[in-house]
Amino acid sequence: MRWVDFKDSVKRFWNDYKREKSGMFGLILLVILIVLAVSAPYLTSPDVPQKWQVGWQTNPKNAPPTWVNRFSSISKAPHLVYSVKDVHITRNSSNGYTTYVLTFAYKNKYYLPPKDVVITGILNNASTPSQNPQMTLWVIRPPERGIKNNTMLLISGYSLPSNYTFQLSSSQDAKLNFLFWLYKNGAFKLNNMTPILNAQMLRLYLTMNNTLMQTMGTVDLVRALMGQLVNKSTGKFVPLTLINNVPGLEGLYTFKVYITAPQGVKLNFNHMKIYFVGRTYGILGTDQMGRPIAVGLLWGTRVALAIGISVSVTSVLLGIFIGVTSAYLGGWKDELIQRFTEFMASLPLLPMLILLSLWIASRSAAQSSKITLWQLVAIMVIFGWMGTEKIARSMALQIKEQTYVEAARALGAGTGRIVFKHIVPQLLPYAFASMALSVPGAILAEAGLSFLNLTSQNMVSWGRMLNNAYNNGATVNGYWWQVIPPGLAIAIVGFVFVLIGVSLDKVLNPKLRRI
Amino acid sequence: MAMSYGKYVAYRIVNALIILFFATLLSASLFVQLAIVEDKGLVQAQLTQQIQTYVKRHHTQPTQEWIQKLNQSLIHQYKLDVPYWKRVLETTKNTILWRWGSSQSALFGTYDVRKQIEIALPRTILMFTTATVIVILIGIALGVKSAQNPGSYMDRTIAILSMVTTSLPMWWLGMLMILIFCVWLGILPIKLYTTPRITSTIQLLKKMSLPVFTIVLNVFGAWAWTIRNIMIGVLQEDFIMAARAKGVPENKVIYGHALKAAAPPIVTMIIFAMLGSLSGAIITEIIFNWPGMGLLYWQALMSNVITTVMALTYISILLYLVSMILADLLYGWLDPRVRVGAAGSR
Repeated sequence: MRWVDFKDSVKRFWNDYKREKSGMFGLILLVILIVLAVSAPYLTSPDVPQKWQVGWQTNPKNAPPTWVNRFSSISKAPHLVYSVKDVHITRNSSNGYTTYVLTFAYKNKYYLPPKDVVITGILNNASTPSQNPQMTLWVIRPPERGIKNNTMLLISGYSLPSNYTFQLSSSQDAKLNFLFWLYKNGAFKLNNMTPILNAQMLRLYLTMNNTLMQTMGTVDLVRALMGQLVNKSTGKFVPLTLINNVPGLEGLYTFKVYITAPQGVKLNFNHMKIYFVGRTYGILGTDQMGRPIAVGLLWGTRVALAIGISVSVTSVLLGIFIGVTSAYLGGWKDELIQRFTEFMASLPLLPMLILLSLWIASRSAAQSSKITLWQLVAIMVIFGWMGTEKIARSMALQIKEQTYVEAARALGAGTGRIVFKHIVPQLLPYAFASMALSVPGAILAEAGLSFLNLTSQNMVSWGRMLNNAYNNGATVNGYWWQVIPPGLAIAIVGFVFVLIGVSLDKVLNPKLRRI
Repeated sequence: MAMSYGKYVAYRIVNALIILFFATLLSASLFVQLAIVEDKGLVQAQLTQQIQTYVKRHHTQPTQEWIQKLNQSLIHQYKLDVPYWKRVLETTKNTILWRWGSSQSALFGTYDVRKQIEIALPRTILMFTTATVIVILIGIALGVKSAQNPGSYMDRTIAILSMVTTSLPMWWLGMLMILIFCVWLGILPIKLYTTPRITSTIQLLKKMSLPVFTIVLNVFGAWAWTIRNIMIGVLQEDFIMAARAKGVPENKVIYGHALKAAAPPIVTMIIFAMLGSLSGAIITEIIFNWPGMGLLYWQALMSNVITTVMALTYISILLYLVSMILADLLYGWLDPRVRVGAAGSR
C-alpha cells in the first residue's frame, strides 16, 4: 500500500468515525483517562508505588470523603496540614538554653473536631539522647461558660528526638494532664481527698483512681478537649462517662509549643508538619492504612490501561497470526492447530491464572513474592487469543478462496507475501474492533487476580484496592467510599473501550452493520 | 465428504477425550510442581521439629547419620524421591479415573475430596441454575421485544445496559448489593453474608436471594442484546417474509417460526451458561460466603490443599468439554449443514 493511499484511507475512516457519537464520546473519555494516567506522578508524587504499603501514618484511617458534610447534620473535621509557614516561631536564649515558641491556631467549626494533632519533622543535631530538646505544649481553648480556666498544659518536659512523630491523642501524659485540668475546673470531685496536695501529688493521686484510669484509657482526647464540656441548659459539666460524645465547641484554639534546647543543639523547622488528623479526608476518603482512595484510583488508571491495552493488542495479534497461519497451511497442520486451540480454550481461565501465578511466585527466589505486571500480561495473552483465532481462521478461509489471491499465487507470490499483503490487511478492521472490545475482559481478569491477592503488593491497582476493602470488611462496615470508586473506575474504563469498539465495528465492518 | 451423524458424534467425542487428557496433564504438571515446593517445606519443618524433640529427650544433638536417615524417610514419605514425570502421570491417571483421594486438611467438614465436592456442587447448582433460568427468561423476553422494534427506546436502553454490565465485575456488583440491601436499606441481615453457615431452608433461600439478584443484574443485559441480534438476523430471512405474506399472525411468526430458527445458537448459549456455572464463580461466592464450588476452590487454595484444587480444575475442564460436545451435537442435529462443514474443513 502506498503512503498516499494509506493517508487517504485513514482520512476516510476518520470522517466516518467522527459521525459516531458514542464512539467520539468514548474517544474523548479515553484521552482523559490517558492524560490522568500519564500525569499521576506529577499530580501526586512519583514514589507512590514504593510507599504504598507504608508511609501514611499521619492520615486518618477509614475516613469518609470531606463532602459528606454537606449531606449530614453532623459535620466532621477535614484533614488539615500546617507547614512552617502557618506557624509563628519566636526564639529566645537565656542561661545557655534556647527556647523556641511555636504558636499556631486551629479554628474549629465542626461537630466532630479532628481525631488527633500530630507534630512531625522537627530536626535537631543532638548527639546523645540526653541532649534532646524538651517540649512543652499548652492549649488555649475558646471561652466556654462555666469553665474558669481556658488554658491547659498538656505536655511538659517531653524529650523530643530528631524527626520524631508526636501524636497527641495517644500520649498518656496529655490524657492525664487533661483530666487534671478537668478536675481543677471542677468537672468532677474525688472522695477522701486531702485538700493540701500539690499539683504533682494530685496527678499521682488521679492515676490511682480506677474509674478515672478507665476513662483515660478510652478518652478521645482531641474530641474532648475541643468539645462542649459544659451542658448549655443545665450549666453543669458533662459526666466523664459521656465525655467521648460531646459536640464540638466552635472557636479558635491556640496551641503553644515550647521547645527548649541545650547549647550547641540546633533545631530545624523547615520540614516541620503539623497534622490536624481529620474525621474526613479529601475528595474520596481513605482506607484502613490511611491511604487516600483518590491517589490509588489515579495510579490504578495506569495499571488498568497498561494491562488492558497490552493484553488486548498482543492477544488479538497472536490470535490473528495463528488463525491465518492455520487457514493458510490447511490439511493436518490446520487440524493440529485447531485441536490445540480447543485444548487451550478448554482450560478454565481463572483457575489457570491462579495456578500459573502461584507457580511463577513459587519459582522466584524471594518468599512471598508475587508475579510482576509483565508476567501477568504474558499469562493473560497465553489464555486470551483463542476467540480471535477461531474467527480469524474462518475469515481467512473465505479470503483464501477469493480469485485475487488465486491470481497472486498464479503470478508466483510467496506465502509471506500472500499472507501479509492480501489476507492480513483484510482482517485488520476486524482486529481493531476486537482489540478494543477485549480490553474490558483483560481489566476484569486483572481485577479478579488482584482481588484474590495474587498480584504484586506494590502494584497500585483497582482490584487490589477492592481486595483491601474486602479484607477491611468495608461492605459490612459501610465504608462505601472504599468499595464504590474502584469498581466504578473498572466499569468506566471497560465502558469506554466497549463504546470505541462498537463504533469501530460499525465503521470498519459495514457488512455487519445492523439496521 | 459428508459424514454420517454417528461418525460425526464419535469424532467429536474422541477429540474431546484427547483434549481432556492433555488439559489434565498440563494442570497435573503445574500441581505437582506446587506440591513439591509445598512438601519440601513440610519435610524441612518436620525435620527441625523431630531434631528438637530428640534434643529435649536425650539432651544431646543427634548424630549426622540419624538426621540423614530421618531425612531420607521423610522424603520417601512425601514421595519426593519419585521422579517428577512419574508423579505427573500418576496424578493425571488418578484424576481422570475419578480417584481424587483425600485432602491434607478438612474442607467443608470432611477429608474426602469427593465428599467435599458432593457437598459443594448442589449449592452451586441451586444458586447459579436459578439465576441462569431467570436470566434466560428475561433475556428471551426482552431480546425478542427489542428485535421487533429495533431502534426503539427500549432497544437502545438494552444496548447501553449490555455495554455497561459487561464491563462490571460481578463480584463488585455483589459488594455493592450487600452495601445497599444490608447496610443502607437493612432489608436483609448482614449476618447472612459474614459466614458460610447454612442453618435452615428459609435461611438458605434468604441467603440466596442477593447473589441470584446480582448475577441476573450482571448478565441479563448481554443476554438480551445477543438474543436480539440473533433474532434480527432471522427476522430478515425470506421464510419470515413468506409467513407474514401468508397472513400468519405476528405472534406466531415471532414465537413459532423465528424463535425456532434462532434456537441453535440460543441453545448453545444456554448449554455453556448452565454447565459453565457449575464450577462456580470463585470471587462471587467468596463475597457472599456461599459454600459452593467457588468457595471450596478458594479455601482449598488458601490452605494449600492441592488434591482438592486438582479435582475442581478437572471438573471445570470436563464441564467445558461436555458443553462443547453437547453444543456440537445439538448443532449437528438441528442443522445438518454443520456436519458437512466440520468434515469439509478437514
